[in-house]
Amino acid sequence: MDQRIAAFSRPAAVTITVRGRPVVAHPGESLAAALVAAGLWRFGEGDDPARPRTAVCMMGVCQQCLLRVDGRLVQACLTPVAAGQVVTPA
Amino acid sequence: MTAPFDVAVVGAGVMGCSTALFLARGGMRVALLDRGEICREASGVNAGTLTMQMTRAALIPYALRAHEMWLTMPRWCAGGDVLATACPGLSVAFTDGEVALLEDRARIRRAAGAPIDLIDGRAAQAIEPGLADGVKLAGHCPIDGFTSAYLTGRAFRPALLEAGVTLMESTPVRGVDGRFTLDTPAGAVRATRLVLAGGVWLEDMAAWLGVPLPIKVLVNQLVVTERMPPRMRTVLGVASGLLSLKQYANGTVLIGGGWQGIGDRARGGIAVRPENFLGNVRLAAHTVPALRQARVVRSWLGLEAETADALPAIGPIPGIEDAWIIGSVHSGYTSGPFMGKILAQAVLGRAPELPLFPIDRLLDARSNAA
Amino acid sequence: MTHDVAVLGGGPAGMAAATEAASHGARTVLLEESPLPGGQVYRALPPGYAGPADADRRAGDALRAALAASGADLRTGCRVWGLGGGPLVPQGAAAAPFTLSALGHDGVPFTITTRALVLCTGTHERIIPFPGWTLPGVIGLAAATILLKVQGVLPGRRIVVAGAGPLLYAVAAKVLAGGGQVAAVVDAATHGEWLRALPALAARPDLLAQGAAWRTRLLAAGVPVIHGAHVTAADGDGVLGRVRVGDRAIDADALCIGHGLVPATEATRTYRARHEHRPQDGGWVPVLDGRQRTSVPLLYAAGDGAGVRGAAAAPAAGRVAARAALDDLGLAHAGSQDAALDRARRAGAAMARMMALRPAMVEAIPPETIVCRCEGVTRAAIDAAAADGAVTINQLKHFTRCGMGPCQGRMCGEAAGALLAAAHGVPIGAVGFATGRIPLRPVPMEAILGAFDYADIPVPAAAPI
Repeated sequence: MDQRIAAFSRPAAVTITVRGRPVVAHPGESLAAALVAAGLWRFGEGDDPARPRTAVCMMGVCQQCLLRVDGRLVQACLTPVAAGQVVTPA
Repeated sequence: MTAPFDVAVVGAGVMGCSTALFLARGGMRVALLDRGEICREASGVNAGTLTMQMTRAALIPYALRAHEMWLTMPRWCAGGDVLATACPGLSVAFTDGEVALLEDRARIRRAAGAPIDLIDGRAAQAIEPGLADGVKLAGHCPIDGFTSAYLTGRAFRPALLEAGVTLMESTPVRGVDGRFTLDTPAGAVRATRLVLAGGVWLEDMAAWLGVPLPIKVLVNQLVVTERMPPRMRTVLGVASGLLSLKQYANGTVLIGGGWQGIGDRARGGIAVRPENFLGNVRLAAHTVPALRQARVVRSWLGLEAETADALPAIGPIPGIEDAWIIGSVHSGYTSGPFMGKILAQAVLGRAPELPLFPIDRLLDARSNAA
Repeated sequence: MTHDVAVLGGGPAGMAAATEAASHGARTVLLEESPLPGGQVYRALPPGYAGPADADRRAGDALRAALAASGADLRTGCRVWGLGGGPLVPQGAAAAPFTLSALGHDGVPFTITTRALVLCTGTHERIIPFPGWTLPGVIGLAAATILLKVQGVLPGRRIVVAGAGPLLYAVAAKVLAGGGQVAAVVDAATHGEWLRALPALAARPDLLAQGAAWRTRLLAAGVPVIHGAHVTAADGDGVLGRVRVGDRAIDADALCIGHGLVPATEATRTYRARHEHRPQDGGWVPVLDGRQRTSVPLLYAAGDGAGVRGAAAAPAAGRVAARAALDDLGLAHAGSQDAALDRARRAGAAMARMMALRPAMVEAIPPETIVCRCEGVTRAAIDAAAADGAVTINQLKHFTRCGMGPCQGRMCGEAAGALLAAAHGVPIGAVGFATGRIPLRPVPMEAILGAFDYADIPVPAAAPI
């Protein structure tokens, strides 16, 4: 499944790893957009009230889309995709 | 005109609330006034630490009794709960200077009744796996713990109402006439006894009665992290006392230790000093390296009162019959409920369980200096 | 070096303010969190992207070009977390230059010192909670706009668009244009409300024409538009599956919903500027004079962060703020009024009124619905705290942890305030706002710690024993 709009042209696709699985994404798009485009709405499970993590505001405010990229805590909506990123739940 | 209250308590922090509660239970008609809301200043924003290792030696017998009160709060406070948690406490030394400080302070506090033993770094890590390497010596006290201080107002409020206290929030007292008519925007409040329990504002309150009582204002900074996986199971500090660290059940880690921000009694706590914020969190991350994995969510400030000798002001106000004062207790939250209880005992004409801290010494010191 | 003017936030107000200040020779820096300036409405495409023509992006490109030519120091991708100086000094001390602590795009910390500070911090979305609003697949209308216009991504295949204000129709039209299906548009506003807004909107014929075009497209596509209605629940198995509007159940894999915009006032609150609650401006806003000055000397606010008036009104407001700063610093004597500003503001005000908090929606939140999603605080818990004596928003935080989580009440603050106010029968303004404190946004400890030796930590003298 790819929910990207065809009328946009983008840099060639790269592969990132999301929870151990390869996901196709485009450099420069936000990680949150890449996950939504792949239909991956659940960004992280757990018991605390703010789970599952997911995209909500897309502008850095709600803090719901927190993830780890290569081990570092980032907000998925503010983080551009780059080839080879390893994405794990926060 | 309605009959005067038996006692008006001014200031609804932990000191004022516990004093008012035990006075009401002792049979008095009590008015408890605050310019804001209940326990919204230091009593609601402090680090909630119940540690003996930051408590002044002279206060340890009081803090031990208060520790027990906090842990059993629902039983004596009509179900009111601050989620008090008992756990061991560690005070650690990374340098030779801190080792000397720790040995000295542990000895003095042990003599005052705190069951502190000194252990090496490896033993400390066995108690607190989150602790960094490089600890040369640690003070270990099995009696420690913490509360969620922000719950303090909610915990006291129903008990006060149930005990019959007339709680007057958002009612600033502007002055006091005679014995005693309190001037408030809601009208005059009359009482035959007066208890001043105003934290850093005690200096202004004592001035209503013509009593010059200098009170220094400490502007303590606090920092809290986002929820993180369980890493800690103690209250952790350093020998200097300038760090307090604990992880709550919800995963957040509270970082305190009395680093100073900007503020005063007129404006309140107005700003965190970024350089002190950084020093505080560096000290925390040095002590518990896993904190590097967390995000800081918020910092804030609480105002702590200190007398000239840094010992409490608890007792009768000299020269003014039926006027009392309570406050300026170092680490006052820790000892708070017990301090209110013993002041209430004295006001009720009974012998307090432990001695009060009369303020004559502070007034004498001032006139001697002059 | 001390800057003359720092601008916080690189949306239309911030870009214009920085351009204006720099082109008058002021040493100017603009700090922006996103990789490129633009803000939410005028957001640039990611590098290497090309997309369908877009009037908003063209307006943004013009502002970006002017900014690039102005000589302002542009710092994008940086997170400003610390604010100091200005009025935040010890008692009796003179006001200091403002200081901003930030993490650069490369993660390296830096500090900006500036004589004047212009806050152009924009807005965030208000979503009034309803059962199921925390399900993955439910996103904001502004969030959907970013996905559709900038990222080129459909939020789903079959989408319900709901809430209030013009974004509703913009999002629905973009979904259709992008090849998605709009299952329904659920508009809180009645036909009557739209009609009442018309005279003010006539000041901006471009907006009217655009709105008419959007609606025509929906009509042609046979999209059901339900007026004067609200989403009553969202449900699904782990992710969104259905949207309920009263008795109707609409299958959907995404719900884009928003009930207006809330000015981002954390910086003005941290600086202790005076605020007032103005529902028609989006909620709490800093009190401004006619030239965008806050109550704090040399601190200015412009754009939607100073009261929601829309992107079109923002550049003029930013320029007015910059000119006031230049005047106040003695750097230039510039005129204060901008001819286009009043017209744009009038149209913006009509939209803002439609997007204002609707108390009836807040009142309809069921007891078990989560209001604060960071901390899992329900409406019932807020009502119980009110019954236990919580009367201010700061007290509500203490009683319930509502607003104590990572978003610091940005998402729930309005609804929580409205619930508390309703419980006590007072206006929302009476319950106050959360005290502003640093960090402005959560910051990774690792990033701010830097390299240090234990011996270098300036540990103050030990407390007395």
